Amino acid sequence: MRRFGLVLLATTALSGCHMPGQPQPGPEVPRPEAVMSFAQLYGENCSGCHGADGRNGSAMELANPLYLAIIDDADLRNIITNGEKGTLMPGFGNAVGGNLTDEQVNALVSGMRAKWAKPNVLSGVTAPAWKASQPGDATRGAAVYAQACARCHGNTPQKPGPAGSILDGSFLALVNDQTIRTIVIAGRDDIGQPDWRNVMPGRALTDAEITDLSAWLIAQTPPHPGHPYPLAPHTR
Amino acid sequence: MSWYRRTYDWLERRLQLEGPIKDAVLHPVPKSTASWWYVFGSASAVLLVLQVVTGILLALVYSPSASHAWNILQVLNHQVPLGWFLRAMHGWGSNFMVAVVVIHMAQVFLFGAYKFPRELTWIIGVFLLLLTLGMAFTGQVLRFDQDAYWGLAIGASILGRVPWIGGQLVQLMLGGPIINGATLTRFFALHVFILPGTLLVLTGLHVWMVVKLGINEWPMPGRLVRRETYIQEYNELAHKDGLPFFPGAAWKDAYFAAAILLAVAICAAIFGPYGPTGTPDPTIINTVPRPDPPFLWIYTVLSYLPPEMETPFLLIVPPIVIAVLLGLPFVAGVGEKSWWRRPVAVFTVMFLAVCWASFTHLATSTPWSPKMNAWSGSPIPTAFLEHRTPLERQGANVFQEKQCRNCHSIGGSGGERGPALDDVATRLTEDQLIRQVLLGGGNMPAYGSTLSPPETTALVRFLNTLHPNYQPAASDASRAVAEQGGGPPASTVEPGNGQHKTQ
Ligand code: HEC
Repeated sequence: MRRFGLVLLATTALSGCHMPGQPQPGPEVPRPEAVMSFAQLYGENCSGCHGADGRNGSAMELANPLYLAIIDDADLRNIITNGEKGTLMPGFGNAVGGNLTDEQVNALVSGMRAKWAKPNVLSGVTAPAWKASQPGDATRGAAVYAQACARCHGNTPQKPGPAGSILDGSFLALVNDQTIRTIVIAGRDDIGQPDWRNVMPGRALTDAEITDLSAWLIAQTPPHPGHPYPLAPHTR
Repeated sequence: MSWYRRTYDWLERRLQLEGPIKDAVLHPVPKSTASWWYVFGSASAVLLVLQVVTGILLALVYSPSASHAWNILQVLNHQVPLGWFLRAMHGWGSNFMVAVVVIHMAQVFLFGAYKFPRELTWIIGVFLLLLTLGMAFTGQVLRFDQDAYWGLAIGASILGRVPWIGGQLVQLMLGGPIINGATLTRFFALHVFILPGTLLVLTGLHVWMVVKLGINEWPMPGRLVRRETYIQEYNELAHKDGLPFFPGAAWKDAYFAAAILLAVAICAAIFGPYGPTGTPDPTIINTVPRPDPPFLWIYTVLSYLPPEMETPFLLIVPPIVIAVLLGLPFVAGVGEKSWWRRPVAVFTVMFLAVCWASFTHLATSTPWSPKMNAWSGSPIPTAFLEHRTPLERQGANVFQEKQCRNCHSIGGSGGERGPALDDVATRLTEDQLIRQVLLGGGNMPAYGSTLSPPETTALVRFLNTLHPNYQPAASDASRAVAEQGGGPPASTVEPGNGQHKTQ
């Protein structure tokens, strides 16, 4: 019996195939800059905040076809490489001290498109541009907020709506107008935030309205946001 | 007479080996030694032969050059037919050899076999153990990958701490002040000539003495070893109640050795060769180097020692351990052999085995070192982000972006340097969370200067959501009272969906 086992083992070993221990092609641990697989690059660098498959993360949903339709490769590359100022998105490019080479950033961009983009999401509709083309008017933005956002997010930071406040000073200090613009246009279907066509009852928001809204929201950032102990009313 | 008989006789007339070999093989041994407990010594020798054979085959291809070694292992793994299997056999053979040698040593210790007249056999055995470990370490270096590189760096920094001559020792070990081409040549010479040469000579001596002095009889409680009478008693035992070593006792050795070789081959086939992991490039800092299995426990011990204890520990403990091992047969060279009458010996072995097992186990998960890519690679499980406010989500972003996750796990993934934070809000109130984050303490860095006030607020809001639905977050009753100027607690914030804490 044992002899049989030995012979079996030897023949399988000699045939050199199907042994679980045989190394896969390529080095076991490639040099970090040689990793080009989207799954590995995304998994190691992005999934922490953007979610395991681009959804349900704490940061923006990347597996969002609308989002991928409005942003172009250059902007994606730029954000991944250099980060987004005024937000918690850090830069991952070698130039700013990150781990990723330009080729790896390209692999991420094309991987996101290949995996999550849907070519027809915008057929027949013109979505507002990803980037605002003119400065917003905060006063008009206030009215947009009251009509489109207040229902869910409340009228004041002290009276948040069912979806939680976005007028909170700390929140506003951690996002910029592009964050707001992106999420208002593209929405986040993973957590129930509607896109630009569905926030306002009855009609889509216009590009100008979104620009004004972002400007107004950012203008609500208090001068010293995030004081952990708000003073009680009578001591103020 | 047939031709082979004539050749044999011609050789034998000149070599005269038949007599001694027959003596050695047929010498009587006590019947009690034909036991499965006595097979580890011969198995070590068989593994040594396996290592020599596979090692020679590897040396046919290997080149001890810093620029080629790593690539040659790739060639062996991928291009040379069954090269990977050869590497795997050598690597697993090494693990098995260290394990079997250690088991052999424990068995010899528990059976009192180191006592008179076998003291020198034991002492040589101690050196054989050290040489085997030396082979395992130098072999790991020849792999010349990241593990090897950092293993060397740690070895060098240990040597460098020797007072007065530390610098010279490092120079001697590395062949220069840093790890370079000469280092690899040096370790190649050690691994291929110096250590195995010594190992083979000492193994020969060791076996010679085993044959000459006889295999230790099965210890019986109450049968004491006395210098005056032992030899006579042993000979009586071996002749009256004995049997010739071959085939009486040897077939068990043979079966066990075959089983061990089979086990090595199966491990090699299933788990494959060791590495090579990444290239030995010190600029790649994104790496978690780990020593080979025989040294994992040292890795744990060094990681848990407080820094100020490291040097004394490293310089004092190994000499003491070696001195104790070498001194053992002189201190306890006679008397009781049976483990039934030697509780200290039994508990020492058990204690060491438990320590070794737990240290080795810890070293496989390295809970003491942060997981350097958890922050960007370990998503926060969806359940912890459901029905959270925008601010709390930003807090989760802060948690990841400030790399808290590298030390703290959530939902079972992340570092283990600090406690898991899945239900931290049940333990700490908001104020305590703020204090912990800003001031750190107990091995946690202080984040007061790296977190802005909005980041701190968002982060603490997020941490505050980390409690099970059925259990409220901890809250500080006095804070509410103080905020209200002594009045009844009432929040200034009306909670939104998911924003309320169950009070
Ligand atoms: C270098 C590793 C490390 C990092 C990075 C780290 N911590 Fe810690 N943390 C620890 C350790 C260790 C403890 C245990 C402290 C003690 O024993 O007093 C701890 C304790 C805590 C506690 C208290 C847990 C409890 O159950 O008592 C909280 C809360 C905490 N850390 C939050 C954070 C946050 C938030 C961050 C990121 C800003 C962070 N930690 C970053 C190592 C770390």
